[in-house]
Amino acid sequence: MADTKHSSVMTYVIVALILGVITYIEFALVEYPQAWLGPSWTLFWLVTLSVVKFVMVVMFFMHLKDDDRTYSGFFSSGMFIALATFVGLTAMFILPRAVAATKPANAAAGQAAHAEVPEALLENVRTGGASRTPAQIADTPRPTDRSIEIAAPKAGNDASTYSVTMPETAAATAATQPGATEGEAPQAAAAATETAATETATTETAETETPQTETAAVSWDPDHGTAVFNANCAACHQMNGQGIPAAFPPLAGHAAEVYALDGGRKYLLDTVIFGLQGQITVNGGTFNGVMPAWGHLADGDIADALNHALTAWGEAPAGFTPYVAADVEARRGDGLSAADVHAHREALGLN
Amino acid sequence: MSAQASNQPAAAAHAAPYRATKLPDVKLLMWVFLASDTMFFGSLIGTYLAYRNRSLVGPYPQDLFDIPLTTVSTFVLLMSSFLMVLSLHALRQNDLSKFRLWTVGVAVFGAIFLGFQVYEFTHFAHAGLSVHQNLFGTTFFILTGTHGIHVTVGVIWLIGLVIASYKRPTSAKDAVYLEIAGLYWHFVDIVWIVIFTVVYLVEFV
Repeated sequence: MADTKHSSVMTYVIVALILGVITYIEFALVEYPQAWLGPSWTLFWLVTLSVVKFVMVVMFFMHLKDDDRTYSGFFSSGMFIALATFVGLTAMFILPRAVAATKPANAAAGQAAHAEVPEALLENVRTGGASRTPAQIADTPRPTDRSIEIAAPKAGNDASTYSVTMPETAAATAATQPGATEGEAPQAAAAATETAATETATTETAETETPQTETAAVSWDPDHGTAVFNANCAACHQMNGQGIPAAFPPLAGHAAEVYALDGGRKYLLDTVIFGLQGQITVNGGTFNGVMPAWGHLADGDIADALNHALTAWGEAPAGFTPYVAADVEARRGDGLSAADVHAHREALGLN
Repeated sequence: MSAQASNQPAAAAHAAPYRATKLPDVKLLMWVFLASDTMFFGSLIGTYLAYRNRSLVGPYPQDLFDIPLTTVSTFVLLMSSFLMVLSLHALRQNDLSKFRLWTVGVAVFGAIFLGFQVYEFTHFAHAGLSVHQNLFGTTFFILTGTHGIHVTVGVIWLIGLVIASYKRPTSAKDAVYLEIAGLYWHFVDIVWIVIFTVVYLVEFV
């Protein structure tokens, strides 16, 4: 026989003991996490330990250590191709995800779609906030009051006469302050944009204003809507509803457009309750990500977050009737998938 | 070494199924098969990782995995590999009774591992995970299910060898047939070593 050298039984016992101990160490590393080790080193040791186990079984139990090299050659070539497959899959599926947002084409499309976003702000998004110092972040003016006021329906009119008043923002105040230093220039530019938006909204509100009556309104709580939106939606869509270019679509303006479509009201509800997956185009920007389902939120929370998204950053869509909890509850039964919702989106004529 | 046998082709043809490689054909074949099976599992594990954290709906791995339970089943499979080498050692010593004892032991340990897997799959199914539920369900069940089928085949193979040892004369000269079954068994074990770390443990780091 080619394999005449056999490891003794004692060797087998020792190898088995080591394998058992290593398995226990792996278990202990995960079950009793060591703070001093940290996740990266824990992962490193888990992988190292499993490689040690792998090699020990192959060397001693499968006898490759003392056996003919031909066997090792065949097995190594298989291992090599398997690892190459693994690296290839990683390159195809995992890396693109990480670099997608940094692609020039995507960035350009996103920039075109959001020309009103200052370059400094985009740079800040691209670098994950690294382009500004902590002091600059702390100095950035923030809206003092994000609540909005909605006037009740007017006499002789339907709900389309709902009007929205945007609050004054601290940013607007900051923009008017003279003597901004070189470093604060980008923030001032951002603030100026917001001021312009606020003025536009105010103007439109004034135009639609008509005498009030005591007609009962579908009431909702703007403060609650703001709170729910900021807690759950703003991480991606941002507090100003502008989203992040090439990563998360803007809601400001777009949500109202969708609402105005036939079936748009239902579609917006479905998106929040069931999520959305697939490529979409918003204001000329292409997005191919995933919106998770938010069905675990309470009916009232979903309704008010949607009302917030439809009214907070511009004129409410024509024929806007605020969502109420019962609307949300009525849609839950359909149990759509994120892909179904994407199909509904296409059915609305959107892409 | 078999150098002398290969110098006398006629004698070699009678003595053992050797060819130009001077290696037992069945064993070479098994290693070639294991090399291809490595690529197969490499693709499945790679696919699992490519779709990791991409499920849109639950249940998610962290909701389901029971690390203590899986550690025990991993340990059982490792120890079955230990019994496997003892079995081969016994057969090479012409110790038939110990060969049968250890080989049945390997099969029993393999069956225990399968029992853990059946329990785990049932538990996951009750929690709402199916092949259709999400990407985690699809890739997880395909990967661990394929591994489970390998274990099942190994258990049947080993029991078949034990039964065969009663039906016809078995001695140390037949060790190569047990050895290739053992190679297959150890391979299934090392695949699980990788799965245990890459699929189960990393979820909780």
